[in-house]
Amino acid sequence: MTMAEPAEITVPETPVQTGEMDLVRRAQKGDLEAYDELIKRYQERIYATVYHMTSNHEDANDLSQDAFIKAFQALKSFKGGSSFYTWLYRIAVNKTINFLKQRKNKLHMSLNDLDFNTENNPDLVALISDKTPRREAGLKELSEKLNEALLKLSEQHRLVMVLHDVQGQSHEEIAEIMDCNIGTVRSRLFYARQQMQAWLTDYLKPT
Amino acid sequence: MNENENNFESLRRLLAQKRHEMPPPGYFNSFSGQIIARIRAGEARAPQTDAERFFSEAPWLLKLLQAFELKPAFAGAFASALSLLLVIGIVYAERPDAGPQPLFQTSDQSVGSFASASPSSLPQTVVASDTTTSNSAATSLQPVASLFGGSQNAFVQPVSFSPSGN
Repeated sequence: MTMAEPAEITVPETPVQTGEMDLVRRAQKGDLEAYDELIKRYQERIYATVYHMTSNHEDANDLSQDAFIKAFQALKSFKGGSSFYTWLYRIAVNKTINFLKQRKNKLHMSLNDLDFNTENNPDLVALISDKTPRREAGLKELSEKLNEALLKLSEQHRLVMVLHDVQGQSHEEIAEIMDCNIGTVRSRLFYARQQMQAWLTDYLKPT
Repeated sequence: MNENENNFESLRRLLAQKRHEMPPPGYFNSFSGQIIARIRAGEARAPQTDAERFFSEAPWLLKLLQAFELKPAFAGAFASALSLLLVIGIVYAERPDAGPQPLFQTSDQSVGSFASASPSSLPQTVVASDTTTSNSAATSLQPVASLFGGSQNAFVQPVSFSPSGN
């Protein structure tokens, strides 16, 4: 799958938008137009999370669509105890983790769909250590190594890292999505970063 | 924590670049439409099989099965526990003295005799205490063949019904 021009997925500070509960109530009554609006609000974030967890666009496409369909089926059970956004995220995350566990023995994840247009990004170029003997391998290798390292993490650690460091979500939001306390989120994030740092040490410029 | 944040700054900046990994332009234009089409087409609400209907009514069971699938050790432990329970049940059921025990023990011997009397010995007790009760007395005096041909009162223990103090 070819990649688009770099265009960052913007994550709003507060995901709950005006009129969301109204849309949810309408969707609960079977109003597909209202549900269509809800999908459009969250499709990019849900897709991005699933993609960064699986490193595969086809899987991300299937899983995120399935998550939205499952959410629609279960919408009547949504009581509004949390935001619709968090509830939907939980469904997508659980579906993705189950998928990854069932396919744990899959030997190769598709890494050929990375966005190599980022090679020209000065921030990314600056991250390459001048001292690394493998500099000639370039940014393509770095991207591959980054994804490989991510896939080495456990699903829980990868999820925390993706939600926080890639998607910019707060500890509180992640704790709510993962149904655990903030301390757990922090410790998982710290451990995941330590692991990633160790695996990518040759590629990271010392600070 | 700030020091830790600084230690990982390079890593964080590298990970932030992953936000640029995007599907092709226009991908999201048709994304919601595909989902709605799948829902409308009835894929999401296809006629449920009996198993699906059962699991939809008992979602905890589905979760349990999923847990078994994901953690075989858990499934093994659950099966072992069930087997153990079954064996205990069989062993306990085969014990001849495993009948129901009286819930209450009172000091009054006569009342205690009634409470501790097993159902099979109850008619004899009635005969002994009330000779005017004709129905139960008559049935208890007649030999009744058991279902499997054995003696009906093979395991009946004689009940002492003498009032206390005698």
